[in-house]
Amino acid sequence: VPNPIISDERELAIDFAALEPVSDNLATAALSLARRFAAGATMWCVSPSWPAHGRHVAVEFVHPVIMGKRALPAIYVNDDDLLGSLRVLVRPGDLVVAIGNAEDGKIASLLRRADAWGLTSVWIGAGARPPASAADHLLWVDGVAPDVAGTSGAYVLLYHLLWELVHVVFEHPGLLPEPAACTDDVCITCSDEGRLVEVIEVGGDDTAWVLAQGHRERVDTTLVGPRVAGDLLLVHAGTAITTIEDPAMGATAQ
Amino acid sequence: MTAEPTNFLYPFIDSEERDATALLVDLAVSARGKMAQSRELQLATLSQWAHEVETVAADMAARFARGGRMWTFGNGGSATDAEMAAEMFRHPLSGRPLPAWPLVDDRAVLTALANDVGFELVFSRQLIAHARGDDIALGLSTSGNSNNVMHAFGEAKHRGLLTIGLAGYNGGAMAGNDKVDHCLVVRSDSVHRIQEAQDALMFELWSVVQRHLADQSTLEGSPT
Repeated sequence: VPNPIISDERELAIDFAALEPVSDNLATAALSLARRFAAGATMWCVSPSWPAHGRHVAVEFVHPVIMGKRALPAIYVNDDDLLGSLRVLVRPGDLVVAIGNAEDGKIASLLRRADAWGLTSVWIGAGARPPASAADHLLWVDGVAPDVAGTSGAYVLLYHLLWELVHVVFEHPGLLPEPAACTDDVCITCSDEGRLVEVIEVGGDDTAWVLAQGHRERVDTTLVGPRVAGDLLLVHAGTAITTIEDPAMGATAQ
Repeated sequence: MTAEPTNFLYPFIDSEERDATALLVDLAVSARGKMAQSRELQLATLSQWAHEVETVAADMAARFARGGRMWTFGNGGSATDAEMAAEMFRHPLSGRPLPAWPLVDDRAVLTALANDVGFELVFSRQLIAHARGDDIALGLSTSGNSNNVMHAFGEAKHRGLLTIGLAGYNGGAMAGNDKVDHCLVVRSDSVHRIQEAQDALMFELWSVVQRHLADQSTLEGSPT
C-alpha cells in the first residue's frame, strides 16, 4: 500500500514549513496565558480525540521539565459530558486549551461558550480551519491532515513551545497585569455590541438566568421565546435579541 | 513575582516594562528558532540511528508477524508519548493495525502497584502479568535513568521480550545496558527537544515496521 508519509520525499514526519507560520499566534497566546495565570487562572485541557495530548499539555504546566520554573494549575478533563463538567468546574478568568480538528463538535460546542463562561480559549489543531472566532487563539497547522499532525509530533512541539513562551513572559513582570479593558473609544462592554450568554435557568415570566462572562444575570427572553438550559443567546441591554447556533447541536429553535 | 535570572537580557527593567510589542516579536522569533532547533535535532537523530532503526524495525516486524504484542511505558510527558506510540501502532495512519498497549493507561493498576509494591515496579509488575516471549517492550525516558523503566527492561529481557529504549542526554543508565537490546539516544540536553526527536524516532520505527510487514505480505502473496 503506497503511503505518502513513508515516501522518501519527506525526511521528517512533521511538516515544519506548515508549522512555522503558527509562531506569531503562539506568541500572542503565550502572553495571554501568562497574564491569565498571573491573575490566578486555572487552565483546563480538553482533547476528546487525543487524550494523550490533553494529558501531556497538563503535565507540562503542572510539573515543569525545567527545575525552578513555577508549577501552574492545569487540569486535563476527560468526560463524556464535557460541557456539564466544565460548566461547574471553571471560574471566570480561567483558561481552556483544546486539541483536536475543526470537526470536533465537543470542542466547538465548549469553546462557543468560552465568552459566556468568562474563559480565554486556545485551540490547537490542523487541516481545515474552524471560523476565526471559534477561539481567542487558534494555533493551527494549515495544510496538514489532523491525523498526521496528531501522530507526527507536531502538536507536541506546539504545546512544548507554548509552555516555553509562557515562562519567558513570566520574566517580564511589568507586562503581566491585564491592560485596562476600556482604553479605546470602542469597548464591547460599553458599546452597542451584543454579548453571547448561556441560559442556565429558565424563569416562568419571559426571563432567564444566564451566564455572561461567567457571572449570573437575569435577561428578558420575550423576543426569543421560551428557552432551555444550555441555549446560547445574544444579549443587548438586558434583553436576549437572538439565539446562537451551537455547533454540536445544530441551530437552536428560532 | 520574583525576578528571573535572564532579566539582564532585556532592555527594560522588570516592572517598568509596559509595552508588550517588543516581547511579542521576541517570542515569535524564539518560537521559530526553537522549531528550527527541533527540526535539526530530528534530522540528526534519524540520520544517526538510520541503520539501527532498520534493524530494530525488522526485529519488531518479525515479532508482530509471530503474534507478538508491544508494551510501551514512560513517565510524565514520556508516559503520554508512550500512549501515543501504542495508539500509532494500533490505529495506524495507513497499513496494518498492530497490537500495542501503554502500561500507563490504567490508574487503578498504577496506583495499586505504586501503593503496594513501589513506583519503581509499576511497569515490571504489569509485564510479569501480561508479557509473553514474542512481545516487545518499548520504554521512554529523556534522562535514560527512570527507575521504573529500567526495572521493566530487566523483567522484559528476563522474559525474552525485545527491549527498545529511547533516551536523551548521554543515554543515562539505558546506554550500554545489557537489559536494553536497542538503545536509541537523542543527543540533546533539552527535555522538550529530546521528546520531539523521540516522537520522530517512534514515527520512523512505525513506518519502517509497516514497510517490513508490507514486504512480508507481498512475499507471502497475502493481501495487505
